[in-house]
Amino acid sequence: MAPRKLGFIGTVKRYWQLWAMALPAIVFVAIFNYGPMYGIQLAFREFDFTKGLTGGEWVGLKYFKQFFDSPLFGTLMANTVRISLWTLVMGFIFPIILALLINQIRSSKVKGFVQTITYLPHFISTVVIVSMINLFLKPDAGVLTRVLGVIGIQSDNFMGDPNLFTPIYWITEVWQHVGWNSIIYLAALSSVDTALYEAAKIDGAGRLQLIRYVDLPAIMPTCGVLLILNMGNVLNVGFEKVFLMQNTLNLDASEVISTYTYKIGILQSQFSYSTAIGLFNMLINFAFLVIANQISRKVSNSGIF
Amino acid sequence: MGSANGKIQASGSANIPENKHRREQRTPTDWVVDIVIWLLVAFVIVAIMYPLWFVIIASVSNQTLVNNGQVFIVPKGFSWYGYEQIFADDRIWNGYMNTIVYSLVGTLINLVVTLPAAFALSRHEFHGRRLVMLFFTITMFVNGGLIPTYLLYKQLGLIDNWLVFVIPSAVNVYNLIIARSFFETSIPEELHDAAQIDGLGYFRYFLKIVLPLSSAIVAVIGLYYLVQHWNDFFTGLIYINTYDKQPLQMVLRDILLANSAFAGGSGSTAGAGYGQELADQIKYGVIIASTLPLLVIYPFIQKYFNKGVMIGAIKG
Amino acid sequence: MLTIAVSKHSLTKNMSEMNWVSDLEAECDCVIEWQEVSSDWDQKKQAMLASGDVPDLILKGIDMTDIATYGSLFEDLSDDLDAMPNVKEMFETDPTSKKIVTETDGSIHILPSVKKGWPTTVSHLYINQQWLDAVGMDMPTTWDELYDVLVAFKEQDPNGNGEADEIPFDFHAPSTDGFGNYEPHLLLGSLGLTLSNKSGTGYFVDDNEVQNFFTDERYKEVIEYLNKLWSAGLINKEAFTHDYSTAQSTARGDGDTAKVGVTWGWTASDRFGAELADQYVAVGPLKASADQTEPVVGEYLADSLSYNTIALVVSATTKNKEAALKVANAFYGEDMSVELLWGDLGVDVEKTGDHSYKVLDPADSSKDSSTWKWTETLADDSPGWIRPDSEIEYPADLIEVQEDEVPMQSAFDAVDTENDIMPAFLQLSSDDLKTIQLNNTTILNTAMTKFSSWVTKGGVEDEWDDYVQTLKDANIDENIELYQKAYDAYMAE
Repeated sequence: MAPRKLGFIGTVKRYWQLWAMALPAIVFVAIFNYGPMYGIQLAFREFDFTKGLTGGEWVGLKYFKQFFDSPLFGTLMANTVRISLWTLVMGFIFPIILALLINQIRSSKVKGFVQTITYLPHFISTVVIVSMINLFLKPDAGVLTRVLGVIGIQSDNFMGDPNLFTPIYWITEVWQHVGWNSIIYLAALSSVDTALYEAAKIDGAGRLQLIRYVDLPAIMPTCGVLLILNMGNVLNVGFEKVFLMQNTLNLDASEVISTYTYKIGILQSQFSYSTAIGLFNMLINFAFLVIANQISRKVSNSGIF
Repeated sequence: MGSANGKIQASGSANIPENKHRREQRTPTDWVVDIVIWLLVAFVIVAIMYPLWFVIIASVSNQTLVNNGQVFIVPKGFSWYGYEQIFADDRIWNGYMNTIVYSLVGTLINLVVTLPAAFALSRHEFHGRRLVMLFFTITMFVNGGLIPTYLLYKQLGLIDNWLVFVIPSAVNVYNLIIARSFFETSIPEELHDAAQIDGLGYFRYFLKIVLPLSSAIVAVIGLYYLVQHWNDFFTGLIYINTYDKQPLQMVLRDILLANSAFAGGSGSTAGAGYGQELADQIKYGVIIASTLPLLVIYPFIQKYFNKGVMIGAIKG
Repeated sequence: MLTIAVSKHSLTKNMSEMNWVSDLEAECDCVIEWQEVSSDWDQKKQAMLASGDVPDLILKGIDMTDIATYGSLFEDLSDDLDAMPNVKEMFETDPTSKKIVTETDGSIHILPSVKKGWPTTVSHLYINQQWLDAVGMDMPTTWDELYDVLVAFKEQDPNGNGEADEIPFDFHAPSTDGFGNYEPHLLLGSLGLTLSNKSGTGYFVDDNEVQNFFTDERYKEVIEYLNKLWSAGLINKEAFTHDYSTAQSTARGDGDTAKVGVTWGWTASDRFGAELADQYVAVGPLKASADQTEPVVGEYLADSLSYNTIALVVSATTKNKEAALKVANAFYGEDMSVELLWGDLGVDVEKTGDHSYKVLDPADSSKDSSTWKWTETLADDSPGWIRPDSEIEYPADLIEVQEDEVPMQSAFDAVDTENDIMPAFLQLSSDDLKTIQLNNTTILNTAMTKFSSWVTKGGVEDEWDDYVQTLKDANIDENIELYQKAYDAYMAE
């Protein structure tokens, strides 16, 4: 459709309406996201308040080296990647399953009810979630401790076992956000043409086949986009929840980049060091996103950019 | 392919509940599938309901008993103390008002900025859209940090100004990408062809044809933005100095974190542990106070993506 | 008009509801606009400071560490003392109050708070006397006796409810960034090691020499003892994982039945709740072994409990310096100081004479006196000087804590306060602080993990040497040197 020979200026003229529609967003992002970006140079400078934000001495990669040389570097990376990958993968799969499941419920009342209650946990603040995890997994007395005991899963102290930290983290993450994250898939499923179901049924398709051949293709594009976006989070593990769940018994498995950054004193003006760690995070995450995006473009000819 | 307007009318009338004709054709496997589905649904309901129920009973129970793991099914040591404290605090009501205003105005701005951009970027003929997308996507990863942002807001006069809640966050790139992907895959290209035949420009095509067919994604993106504003305490914390302008979350966080403030136990505040029980009592009530409005509005939003809005539009 | 930011406790009512605020406005002849921050002050502060956007005064929020980096934002008050006669008088009467805020170049950016009536330490060890009577044993005086008592608590159902639900020994969970109040490192005092400030991260002073107990043989002994208790099932299973709320609740039992035998707390009524408090008494010095000659010492925090260095700063660019100094001075008035600490005169405090005050019981009888002051006023750390000659009838919580310290008095007397104390208010440069913090993060990651693992699983004997080497690799000696330098400088003044 777009006649290439017009050249860039030509296309802008021809499609000025599209540019006009995108422009407000571009302007906002340029001002509020790109505006402060000069602050990144702090990662390469010594933060010196008296000389202004960007007036400190240039120290190059000093803070990056400091991070890589830290005796904790290996543990931090391993923990961060392990926790985030589990959470990413499980947090990706379960909302899809839940959406397909909800879509199968025929009674609209039950459907609405299930949707509403699964959406609610998303709004419980982390502080309270962690209190509840602690209470439910209390040695001996906790509700979950008892239930799990009945089905043969036992531990002297769930919260004190480094091996259980990651599962507890991702399972509770899934619990909390599965309903919220399934909303987008439900929206995608709502756009399925009912005629497709009828046609499939005339062809003799059972319910599983309907899911396989009608529902899944309908949410595939959304899945793809979300998967790519998720890939850009491999080094992001939320600070607050990990920090609150941490104790001296599980620390070996629970110290992640964000908690480390906090402890070295992000609150005590270690701006240069924490900016450097942040920048390292961004680069790795962005690299993963770009790779995922390129793969997606190759495989399905669609991607984010 | 007829005219686009004809299509839309078809979609309006085709509001058939999707399960109407299914009854007769069940196979034995369908029965098994049904049972499995019901078991799963039952599991989901129990697994999600119980902790929610726990929040409710804990909010009216004696906190020592809660913390000792003695509150399971019904409240123990019943008292309304937590709610009395929460709602006796006049900051709460002010916070509610602020949050409602910030959320509504903010979401409106968000939608007005995001949706047209998402639509424009969904058009294949939009030359340079990949670059623009890259331009957006980078900001999901790279940010300048707190201090330069603060200085920028200061220059723009946004410090201690309520606009800081609605202006800088006008575009959320994540939501933009989701919306764009929806426009790309769910709006049939034939509609655009038809619109061109009818002589509609992009503006009118977007407003008259795409938007009405997209209530599902508008509802979802609107919800995402609304909740983002609703849950935002950080903006209030860093950029607002006058307490009267603080949103609900900031007020609730103050109440909630009374908890950890005590636990900090620096030598000088030693003995402040007395207040612990009071602070704990409020903890669960706070969740309910802040979530109730979202619980109330959800069914209204939900109905937009439960209905098959696109019915008939694609293959009419 | 003056803008004053205050980092206040989340329970505290609005500034506008406090009576003394209007007195303050009268005194400076100005209108005060308050910026009240409760939660997450540290984050707010970083944005404020690094962007240079500070209000006329800040109360309770800026510490000496901040001054090391952002000193230029604040007024050097050392040459303004004549405009603040109350502060000047405080500095003259109580030289320590001046010393702790005076920087190496003689400038003073922060004004301190000075209180009296506070105890020597925060953590007091309690035992359930009713249980002791029930099992027919005497108050333990050594670790071995304590062990026997705990075993009896576990086995003999001292709370008499027919269930084996007694938790003989409990403590607050050590956190991943070091020890805190009410935690088991306090047993080091039994071995004659004086804990004071910075002991949370292991540092202590012995004969003017800074050391770290993480690599000290005595610390190893404590771990071995705790491991022995743990192995015998005498310590709460949750002791390393419970949060503050749960730990507090455990000791409060279920109303009238006590669950915990021995544990640390601020006061009995705080730790065990009003109903159970009467069952508990404070424990005296515990020797590590019956034949030891080394005296038992108590944790010594008297200076950090009575003084504080975050009370008040004045912006260097305030447009109304005169009014700002008037306000600063007013805070240190005799009446005002009392009001800032305990609440309004006539409401929370009664003035019984020219220089005598009586702190009243809380107007809301459902609240105890310690909680009450936090709801009524800025309480601890706020600017103010409780004069040595002011006669105060203290509130119930302070009276209780003073009484609960009596059994430990001989251990406090045994402390060599001249040579064995790490002062609370050492001054370190911004760079040194960063180095210390960076090293500590690595050191504590190892030390705290090992501590809990050795107590719960054993193995300290085999792993000790490797562990000490790990801490040395993490630059523990560098930190000791930096603290030594600061210590020497402080002592030389």
